[in-house]
Order: sequence, then C-alpha cells, then structure tokens
Amino acid sequence: MNEIQSRGRQSHGFWAEAWARFRRKPLAMAALVFVAMLAAVAVLAPAIAGTKPVLCRYKGRLYAPCLGYFDRRLEPTVFAKDRFRGTYPKNLAEKDPDSWAIWPLVFQDPYRAVRENEWPGRPANPAKDEGRPSRINLFGTDQYGVDVFAKMVHGTTIALLVGVVSMGLAGTIGIIVGALGGYFGGWVDMLTSRITEIVMCVPTLVLILAVIAIVEKPTIWKTMAIIGATGWTGIARLTRGEFLRLRQSEFVTAARAAGAGPVRIMLRHILPNALAPVLVPITFGIASAILTESALSFLGFGPPPPAASWGSLLNDARSNLSMWWLVVFPGVAIFLTVLAYNLIGEGLQEVTDPRLREARK
Amino acid sequence: MATYLLRRLLLGLLTLVAITFIVYGLARNMPGTPLTVQMGESDPSRKLNPEDQERMKRIYGLDRPWHEGYLRWLGNVVRGDLGRSFSRKQPVTTLIGERIGPTFLLSGTALLLTWLLGVPLGLYASARSGLADERATSLLLYILYSFPTFVAALFLQIIFAVWLRGTSWELPLFGMSDLPADAGWAARSVDIARHAILPVTCQTYVSLAYDSRFIKANMEEAVRQDYIRTARAKGAGPGRVLFHHAFRNTLIPLVTLLGLSLPGLIGGSVIIEQIFTWPGMGRLFFESIRERDYPTIMGLTLMFSVLTLIGQLLADLLYCLVDPRVSVE
Repeated sequence: MNEIQSRGRQSHGFWAEAWARFRRKPLAMAALVFVAMLAAVAVLAPAIAGTKPVLCRYKGRLYAPCLGYFDRRLEPTVFAKDRFRGTYPKNLAEKDPDSWAIWPLVFQDPYRAVRENEWPGRPANPAKDEGRPSRINLFGTDQYGVDVFAKMVHGTTIALLVGVVSMGLAGTIGIIVGALGGYFGGWVDMLTSRITEIVMCVPTLVLILAVIAIVEKPTIWKTMAIIGATGWTGIARLTRGEFLRLRQSEFVTAARAAGAGPVRIMLRHILPNALAPVLVPITFGIASAILTESALSFLGFGPPPPAASWGSLLNDARSNLSMWWLVVFPGVAIFLTVLAYNLIGEGLQEVTDPRLREARK
Repeated sequence: MATYLLRRLLLGLLTLVAITFIVYGLARNMPGTPLTVQMGESDPSRKLNPEDQERMKRIYGLDRPWHEGYLRWLGNVVRGDLGRSFSRKQPVTTLIGERIGPTFLLSGTALLLTWLLGVPLGLYASARSGLADERATSLLLYILYSFPTFVAALFLQIIFAVWLRGTSWELPLFGMSDLPADAGWAARSVDIARHAILPVTCQTYVSLAYDSRFIKANMEEAVRQDYIRTARAKGAGPGRVLFHHAFRNTLIPLVTLLGLSLPGLIGGSVIIEQIFTWPGMGRLFFESIRERDYPTIMGLTLMFSVLTLIGQLLADLLYCLVDPRVSVE
C-alpha cells in the first residue's frame, strides 16, 4: 500500500520507470555497454587500426589522413600529389624531416598486407597458413596477409549498421502496415493481413538471394534494404494486435470526440502506447538481421571486396580450415553481438511487460 | 468445419499463386539465363553462338516475356507437371525425390533429438526454477541459442576434421558417404551416420535451446494458475503436479510449434547443407539459384510454400482438437 502511495506521488513516466528497472538487470546492462563499446569501435576504427596517421604535421600544416578510411575523398590531396602512395611512415620522414604524426594504436591495414619495413624494422605480414596470431598481428592474417584484427575493427561499422538500418526500415514498414490494418479494420485489414501472410510464406532466403542477384551492383546498403524489406512481418502482426486492442479504449474515443483525425490518433495517441511491445521484436530483429547478413556473406553473397564484413572472413575460412583464427575471432564477434542484442531485447521485454513483472514477484 | 476448411483452402490457393508469381518474376529477372550462366562460366570456348542460343531459348520457352512463362508454368503445375530441370536434364519431381531422403534423414533425426532432449530439459528447468543449477543450464541454453549455426559448424569442422585428424575421433568433413554404392548396407549406414553426426548436431542445438526455453516459459505461465494451487492443496506430489497438471496444459502451444516445424523438416536448411555439402533439398535450392534453373527454383518454392501453409493449417486444426474452448468458427 505504502509503495503505491509513494509511487503515486513521484509519478515517473513509463519510460523513466522502465529505464530504472532496466538498469537493475546486470546482464542486460552489460549487453548495452557492449553495444555502446562496439559503436565506439566503429566510430574510432581508423584510430584503432590503420596505416594512415590519425593526425600529422606535414610541411607546416596539420592533416588527418585517417579520415580517408571513412571516405576516399576525405584524405588530404597533398599526400597523393607528393606521391605517398598510401605508405606514410617512410614518406613523411623523407619528404619533411620536421614532420610528426600520431599513429593508430595498431599499425595494420584492413585492405592490404603491410609490407616489409613499411613500419621501420618490422617484417612483412605473413600470408597463407603462416599467419597465426602474434604480437604484430593480434588476430592473425588471412591468406593474402591482410591483418584480421584491422579487418574486424573496420568491419564493426557494417555489423552495427546492418542491424540498425535494416530494422529501422522493417520497423517503419511493419508499424505502418500493422497500424493501418489494426486501426481501420474491414477491407484494409483484410488486404494488409493477406500481404503480410504472403511475405511471411515466401522463404526468406529465396527472396533475399533472388533480390541480391537482381540488383546490378550488390552493396552493403542494398543488402540492408533487402533484409529490412523482408523482415517486417512479425512487427506488423504485433502492431496490428496492439492497435486492434487500443482503438477500443476510452482515450481514443475521447481523442476522436475532441476532433482528432485518424492520422493524429494513430501517431500521437495509439502509437506511444503500443511502442513498448513493438520495440521488443525490433531488438530481436536486429540480432537476426546481423545473423542474416553474416550468413549471406558467409555463403559468398556479401558486399563485394574490399568492404570486409565479419561474415566474409568466415567465408575465407571455409577453404582454409587449418587457419582456425579466421573462424574463432569473427565467429566470437558475431556471437557476442547477437547475444548482446538478444539480452537487450529480453531485458526490454521484462521491464515493459507488466505480466512478466508480476511473474517475478 | 467444412466451410472453414474450404475457406482456408481457397485462401491458401490464392496465397500460393501470389507467392509463386513473385518468385517466378524475381527468378526470371535475375541477370543471366540458364544457358549463359551454365556454359559461359565453366568454359568460355563452350559459349553458345547467338543462333544456337536463340534456338535453345525457344525450346526452353525463354523467348517469351516472363509473365507468359509464368502462366505456362502454372498451367503445367495444375496438370501435375513441374517441368524439367535445365541444368540437370531431369524432371524436377525426380530431383526432389532424390534429395528428400537425405534432408529428411538430417532434419528428422534433429527434430527427434530436439524433442527427446528439449522436453525433459524444459521440465527440469521449470521444476528447479531459480536454483543455481537451473540458472546455469538456462544461461548455457541461452548462449547456445545466440550462437550462429554456421560458426558452430565451422568450429566443429575444425575440431573434428582438422585437429583430430588421424585419431579415432576424426569425423568426415563433407558429403553423405564416401563408400561406393555397392558396399554392404551395414558399412554404408555406419558411414552415413558418421557423416551425419556434425550436421545433425548443428541442426539440433539451436532448436533445442529455443524449444526448452519455450517449454519453460509456458510452464511458468501454467504453474501460476489456480488449478495448480488446487492440485497442491489436495495433496498431489510435486512430480504429479508438474507432469499431470501443469505440463499437460502446456501441450497446446507445443502442438503449434510442431506444426510450424513441418516446412523445415522437408525443406531442409540451406546453410547447414551447404557447409557440409549434404545432398539435400536446401543445397539443391542453393545450386538451382546459382544455375538459374527456373523450373527447379519454382518446384522447390512451391513445395516449401505448400508445406508452410499445411503446417499452419495443421497447427490451427490441432489447436481446436486439443483445446475444446477454441472453435474453428
């Protein structure tokens, strides 16, 4: 009784209360921290592993050549003009003795093997099955001598983007389709439900493989769009159910009496109340989107080189099974990321679903 | 009941037509045709000259626009003819017949193992809910559930085919059998079983983790009901309450789960069959997409969609059968 009264006085919002409960779940919080860490790795990738200086002073001016890893055009043109050809350490010292540079934590490139003496006194990257993990190549090298650690650090962006972008798309489609069907009912519902059912019945992998084969140049963005465009059915069904339930409620009648139009009622009145249960399958969907993308790359349908996703490293491993490090490191990375999103989804479900909350007591 | 069935069947037919239409359109619009992909890639000198290509196109009916091709395919299907595979020169039904056995061997074994292990695990977890050993088991199952199959498959291949090579624990990497077809049946079955261990393991563990968690979640829902309290109050032992009162009431969602696993049972898993080069349906499907073998793609899609729809219908019907409160009307 006391508890109810004190809660009534403070009156936290739904999300604030859910967050407070979420914070008390060690596993879910650990997962959230892990994902935040991955995001940091993705943003800072060129500063963690690369062969271009994070910051350097050259002929009296400051440059940040590492930005070239995000986009070729961001790399200062002066280095191309001075014929650096991508090898910075020697050229900087030779062409401007007064220059200095801040190097990435690990001097390795995700797109090519580091050559001998590229970094003064360091041997060339080993290739083939010689490239087991060492002090210089933390996670070993692939069959061409490219550093696996650098590839994985730079592939983090893809892993994170795939989940967020494809589920953002799937969530948008799913919520719109489900909301229309659930709110209007009748023939609209009949139509949207049929479409959902059809998309649900088409084997996902067929759809994805066929669409990937059709698009002229497969890029990672198109893969994301395809995963999103096929993965919305569960979200649509759930949204429809929530809208069906909520459109009968009194606050919707009140809003309608106050003169709100259907779009306003759907967006401002029903959707905020239906968002929590819909967010759960979206989080689980992120996990499965990451799985799908790595499975596609693993089967050889991933983004074309040089873009390296974690799954394409596994694909390299298939023909070189003795190179166990090509399986262990990317495999564990995919697993941990999927696990993290599943744990977050589970935590979200437990803190926002009142029925599950009752069960805990 | 009859009208319900009729309505479901009609809607199902409509869905089937829509699905096959979409897939046919997608398949025909993939770049390349069976003729160019098949011969040009393997050997440039065997590339057909333009006249021959035109002639072949006419024979295969590829000179028409794809929607006409679809109508022709649909017409043949209605007459019970799935067509002939372009790349394998065999009727699609024969191909499916050849591949269905190996796939069923994998997925049937995996399904059986899943249920034999999953039900006791789920019951155990709900009986000891909250205790240290249950939390450890559940955590392990949860980790397994998030573990990608293809990563697990590669791990297993490295361990059993590379690291343990030469020991008695070594297991074969690829294929279904190394022995010639005229070897004795005992030797052959042992050989096939040895080949099947790794793929079956991969296929079992994910669904095992999922099913036992599902059972546990349903059991937790059931033990909170009033009739459980009544059963305890009248003096039923914990085992009897668990099996007789709680578990029997969770059978309904399990039946649905069983119905939904039907398509996978015969459709197989593309990824697992591809990794272990198991000569099953999933691999056939993957190959037929690569070879642009339209009749095979369509035959498999049709079969898979029919199974999905039957599985859903079966799940709904079984639901009515085991739960008298639910009626099909």
